[in-house]
Amino acid sequence: MTLPGSLDEAVAALAAMPTAVPVAGGTDLMAAVNSGLLRPAGLVGLGRISEIKGWQYQDGAALLGAGLTHARMGRPDFAALMPALAAAARAAGPPQIRNAGTLGGNIASAQPTGDTLPVLAALEASLVIAGPGGTRREIPIGRLLAGLDMLRPGELIGYVRVPLLHAPQTFLKATGRTGPGRAIASVAVVLDPARRSVRCAVGAVAPMPLRPFDAERWVSSIVDWDGDRTLAPDALAAFGDYVAAACIPDPVPEPPNPLSPHDPHDPHAPRDGAEPGTLPPAVLHLRRTVATLARRALGRALA
Amino acid sequence: MTGMGGMTGTGGMAGGAGAGDIPASVTTATLVPPATPEEPLLGIGVSLPSTDAAAKAQGTFPYAADLWAEGLLWAAVLRSPHPHARIVSIDTSAAATMPGVRAVVTHADVPGENRYGRGVADRPVFASDLVRHHGEPIAAVAADHPDTARLAAAAIVVEYEPLDPVTDPEQAFAAEPLHPDGNLVRHIPLRFGDPEAVGEVVVEGLYRIGRQDPAPIGAEAALAVPRPDGGVEIYTASTDPHADRDLVAACLGLENDRVKVVVTGVPGAMGDREDPGIQLALGLLALRTGHPVKLVATREESFLSHPHRHPTLLRYRHHADAEGKLVKVEAQILMDGGAYADSSSDALAAAVAFACGPYVVPHAFVEGWVVRTNNPPSGHVRGEGAMQVCAAYEGQMDKLAERLGLDPAELRMRNVMATGDVLPTGQTVTCPAPVAELLRAVRDYPLPALPKDDPDDNEDDWLLPGGPDGAGDPGAVRRGVGYGVGMVHMLGAEGADEVSTATVKVSGSVATVICAAVETGQGFATLARQIVQEVLGIEEVHVAPVDTDQPPCGPAAHSRHTWVSGGAVERAARMVRTQLLQPLAHQFGMSTELLTIADGKITSYDGVLSTTVAEALDGKELWATAQCRPHPTERLDDSGQGDAFVGMAFCAVRAVVDVDVDLGSVRVVELAVAQDVGRVLNPAQARARVEAGVIQGVGAALTENLRTNTGQVRRPDLMSYALPTALDAPEVHIVKLVEERDVVAPFGAKAISAVPVVTSPAAVAGAVRAATGRPVNRLPIRPQTAAVNA
Repeated sequence: MTLPGSLDEAVAALAAMPTAVPVAGGTDLMAAVNSGLLRPAGLVGLGRISEIKGWQYQDGAALLGAGLTHARMGRPDFAALMPALAAAARAAGPPQIRNAGTLGGNIASAQPTGDTLPVLAALEASLVIAGPGGTRREIPIGRLLAGLDMLRPGELIGYVRVPLLHAPQTFLKATGRTGPGRAIASVAVVLDPARRSVRCAVGAVAPMPLRPFDAERWVSSIVDWDGDRTLAPDALAAFGDYVAAACIPDPVPEPPNPLSPHDPHDPHAPRDGAEPGTLPPAVLHLRRTVATLARRALGRALA
Repeated sequence: MTGMGGMTGTGGMAGGAGAGDIPASVTTATLVPPATPEEPLLGIGVSLPSTDAAAKAQGTFPYAADLWAEGLLWAAVLRSPHPHARIVSIDTSAAATMPGVRAVVTHADVPGENRYGRGVADRPVFASDLVRHHGEPIAAVAADHPDTARLAAAAIVVEYEPLDPVTDPEQAFAAEPLHPDGNLVRHIPLRFGDPEAVGEVVVEGLYRIGRQDPAPIGAEAALAVPRPDGGVEIYTASTDPHADRDLVAACLGLENDRVKVVVTGVPGAMGDREDPGIQLALGLLALRTGHPVKLVATREESFLSHPHRHPTLLRYRHHADAEGKLVKVEAQILMDGGAYADSSSDALAAAVAFACGPYVVPHAFVEGWVVRTNNPPSGHVRGEGAMQVCAAYEGQMDKLAERLGLDPAELRMRNVMATGDVLPTGQTVTCPAPVAELLRAVRDYPLPALPKDDPDDNEDDWLLPGGPDGAGDPGAVRRGVGYGVGMVHMLGAEGADEVSTATVKVSGSVATVICAAVETGQGFATLARQIVQEVLGIEEVHVAPVDTDQPPCGPAAHSRHTWVSGGAVERAARMVRTQLLQPLAHQFGMSTELLTIADGKITSYDGVLSTTVAEALDGKELWATAQCRPHPTERLDDSGQGDAFVGMAFCAVRAVVDVDVDLGSVRVVELAVAQDVGRVLNPAQARARVEAGVIQGVGAALTENLRTNTGQVRRPDLMSYALPTALDAPEVHIVKLVEERDVVAPFGAKAISAVPVVTSPAAVAGAVRAATGRPVNRLPIRPQTAAVNA
């Protein structure tokens, strides 16, 4: 166990002991250790690195330290800056978890239900990765979560670069109970008036947050960016349905099996026009949940 | 006698249901000591606080998990990952040779019977040839570090031949026997009245109840210490220490008196708390190694090892006349007992006997089965049997009310039973049954205002379904009101020998109670102190820790300790009182009845005699031991008939829920509860028990379901198994505690803990029905059920 005082010291500590695992809040990691799923050879504690516990401004963006706790992000000063991220941080769990769990940890453990992830995806945040010898490189969050660009050995998430959009943002989450709980589905909606776009990401329904690009483009095109920016209820509902259908598509009809014993020689066997399969009730309800969250999230962002 | 007599002095309690007379927050009201501090808190009817409350709140109270002994070893249990499999071989050699491992034991090492069980001994200590459920113990390891023990357990190589699990109880009848005892644990075909009777209105329903887990706040833990005489002492939070001792002794091949179970603090008990399997493994390992051995279960292990509430499938047909009076109830009840019998037979008896609820039903035909499957074993969880049927018969009452266009409370009012009515088991209800009074009390209690209709209420403060900062939308929220009326039996049923023995000692100005009734959080220890204070007028009363060297008191279940053990304490205290006063009475030529003891002083009616207890004792110690054994009961016969229960308790709950009909999320806003308690012995405790019970019921109604997938327990952790949090807990208004004393019960007091658990899920389901217009026939209520499709 080492407790480095700076990001570069932490990277050096990881380089010195490649089998060590970095730990920040430990809310995911220690649960895995306690249940015997993970037996790290060593730990590099990130709790004393003060440079990643706050945020700074850089070229119209905020550079958020990976060590920001959910509790810190939930406070009003942060909420004024990035309302959706603050809402996600507040919804992330009970106070004990929010006091310990960090932004960087939420990204690193990349749980499908990680509450900050859809917000970061909608904001199109990028990660500043600290590497050996003081090097820094940036990865868009989507590429990291999709596994297209992974952290290399000895690298640490140092900062999260988030554009400052100066416009409403919302994050809504459905859980199984009124008290804190794991997301069944979550939706983040951010408005980007400069680019005249609405961006949306759906969390918890897939291994990584999903971006419904078509729905985003459509709704961006119908918002009156120079006017009051409100939409009629049925437009909001259509957006919700669009998002939900994109994230939870109808099952693709079974392609005709050439080895199928049923009428193998029938040239008119249905191909494209096959009856769409029906989703089980629980999945239909999930789709409806996503639609409702997206409708409400957009409505509140535009209100 | 009816009224709120015992409740005066607590303040904050609304005596009835006057408009605007809303009680202050229940919890704070009960914690405030009475206004007159010079008057000591003594005797029956006061809110005497528990002696260990502060230590528990501050985290200094020692539980079994905190115990330590010189030379301590740590145990781990290897459990089956399969719900049903043949064991081909078990190879422990790799585990046994690991450094730090002191012993590895399997079925081959069990010196006594490799079979145990509550009620029926049908469960192996360690599986030998077959595993019958996910999590069944196969081997155990003792090592000098808990991690070593866990790693060693994982290093045991078990070759399994997986078998198809039987997980649908309906398939269990036709399936190959899963156990030499067969798949049918019990069948009760209850026949009462005329099978040909028909009503003008008939409603049918199919109901499914999920698998609630008791999920105690502290997981199972135990410490076994070998004794020089070859026996073993087990320190654990047993709720039935003598039964556990007997099980351990039989499996270890020891005489009962060479095993001693010492009860530690109980961190939450909603049924049979401890898994005896852990105690058996520890006892065996302690004898093997000659060292103390301890195990603290992980949450996952806890979910896998202790008994759950029976998942139940219920099919009902209610016949009523045009006025809504019940004519006939037909029901089929199928309970999933899981892999082993445990106390399933008792749960079925309760389910069948209370299948019609606290209603007058002239004709009833109820067929009940409890079967064996490869699911996790079911057993005693508060209100077992009674809770499942309550959700179903109240669902039927809602259907009937809808069919007849009657208010749900009015329909129930036309059918409620009273003292003197007959249960479908043929047993006459001889105890107080103020069901109509309870229902009226909750019905007439003012409804909470809807925040959007209430100008005084800031709508921002409205806690919507989904929580603060949640996704809830006031525009999509519909409110509903539902009713539940339920009943449970008290004490063991069907001929169980309900007996308890207590000893009271007085020495100087201190009295001591020695009684093996376990304080599980139900408040028995406090009650025992109050009883002795009441009878002997001594303020300082100690309750000795419980172990099996004391005479048996039976399990802490069905509120039996308040009745049976409380009765024994009272008798013993009265015997001490007689011993104390007899010489004085003799000396002054008056009967002992003319002498009173209060504040440690003995005075005669005329004031001639006045002395202190300490003087009267003159350095002597007085001891007395007494037993309490309520009147016997009988087993339900082949047609489900018999006087099976000592007594019954009733409860009415009105639930108010908010449902976000787009998301299907539900929040219980308020529960109004009226309960038949016989007599309130400790108001603060009584209220705490009611609140705890209804909130456990809210969990069963909305979120608590230990899900399995072909017998495999899915995600046994507290993140996935969602217990109600403080935000999920509704406002609980205890509208009325009806104090109609049960003449056969000591002090006239009835069970408190179980009946709110039984009743509140039914009320919540009814409220969701009312809010959404959807058929709610499954508990917990799923979001897709509560969502109203546009």
